[in-house]
Amino acid sequence: MRRMFIALLGMILGISLNAQYTGYSPVPDTAKFKTAFSAATKKIVSIKSDFVQEKNLSLLSEKIISKGRFWFKRESLVRMEYIQPFQYLMILNKDKIFIKDGQKENKISARSNKLFQQINRIMIDCMQGTAFNNPDFKARIFENKTNSLIELTPLTKGLKEMFKSINVIVDSRDFSVISIEMLELSNDNTLIRFTNKEMNAEIPDSLFIIR
Amino acid sequence: MLFFFGCSPVYMQMKTTTGNILDLAKFKPVFNVALYKTEVDVVGNHLSGLLLIKKMPDSSTRMVFSNEMGFTFFDFGFMADGNFKVYSVIKKMNKKAVLKTLRNDFELILMEHLDTAAVSIRINKGLIYYVFPETKGYNYYITDTTGDNLVSMERASKRKTVVQAIMKNYIKGTPDTIGISHKTFNFTIGLKRIER
Repeated sequence: MRRMFIALLGMILGISLNAQYTGYSPVPDTAKFKTAFSAATKKIVSIKSDFVQEKNLSLLSEKIISKGRFWFKRESLVRMEYIQPFQYLMILNKDKIFIKDGQKENKISARSNKLFQQINRIMIDCMQGTAFNNPDFKARIFENKTNSLIELTPLTKGLKEMFKSINVIVDSRDFSVISIEMLELSNDNTLIRFTNKEMNAEIPDSLFIIR
Repeated sequence: MLFFFGCSPVYMQMKTTTGNILDLAKFKPVFNVALYKTEVDVVGNHLSGLLLIKKMPDSSTRMVFSNEMGFTFFDFGFMADGNFKVYSVIKKMNKKAVLKTLRNDFELILMEHLDTAAVSIRINKGLIYYVFPETKGYNYYITDTTGDNLVSMERASKRKTVVQAIMKNYIKGTPDTIGISHKTFNFTIGLKRIER
């Protein structure tokens, strides 16, 4: 009876695990996926795109939608410029962060703020294909016909208090990032979708300068 | 004597007057749903983000503050019965004093539970003061003598202003600009409405 119960529980857990992401199933050979992912993303030198960010406040039945421009360049350079409905600029340059909010400018050293450093690293890891090397997360990989879903579950205390998981959807053809979804403990989530992507476009270094 | 009078707080100089509480009621903000670009400065630290204020079907008012990238700092509910509910708050802000300060600040601007039976109306230097006694101190809502403009809102002891707030440029009952400034330590909140 006990064995039957355990088997049944295992089946239920197995079903719920597989059904966690509708239309996706677990990648059977994760090692193979990681190798292919690493090889493909090494070819990505830069990304230039638009983005649409959608924050879903589940209990309030509200969405906050913002739009902007995004630039990534190896190594570890990111520029996110929110244009609508507010203006906000964030530059990640290795271990430095620059924020321009209206007239106010703020420089933050990621080294001095561990949590900021960890969040900073997620964005860069997603773009340059080093997400599986990040010790702050446990990764699971799922796939459907066209895309792969990398589920990053926080392992460190600070991140665990902020996120349930961070889900990155990549295009199975070139492993470029389609979207990043941050799931909060409250069940609210923020989805950033990248559109009009230009891979390996010429991007001047000046875009990432922090003065 | 002159020195004493010159330095005496404005709350001590007010004289009783008559007035119409309805002059104040029209400034009660309408927050069906409103999104504000938010700037917070607290003891040398600057924080920015978005504050969503929404009137819920149960007549409570929800306030959710998140950063520009979507991460939620707090989610508060100001209930219809006057209670306050913390739906979520980040660990760094989850301190009794912080929550109490934010609750008091936002209750001052929400103008939800003004006890009109307890109000006294005073005048001083061309301004009308609607005085509401609180458990500790008073809430003052200050208009000009015509009653057309809400000059400021203040939380204070008998003598000293603790918090000063403004609400300006109402559009269909919703203020476009809200400012909250603490007088006993460096803490300001600035809200500017975003059209969605």
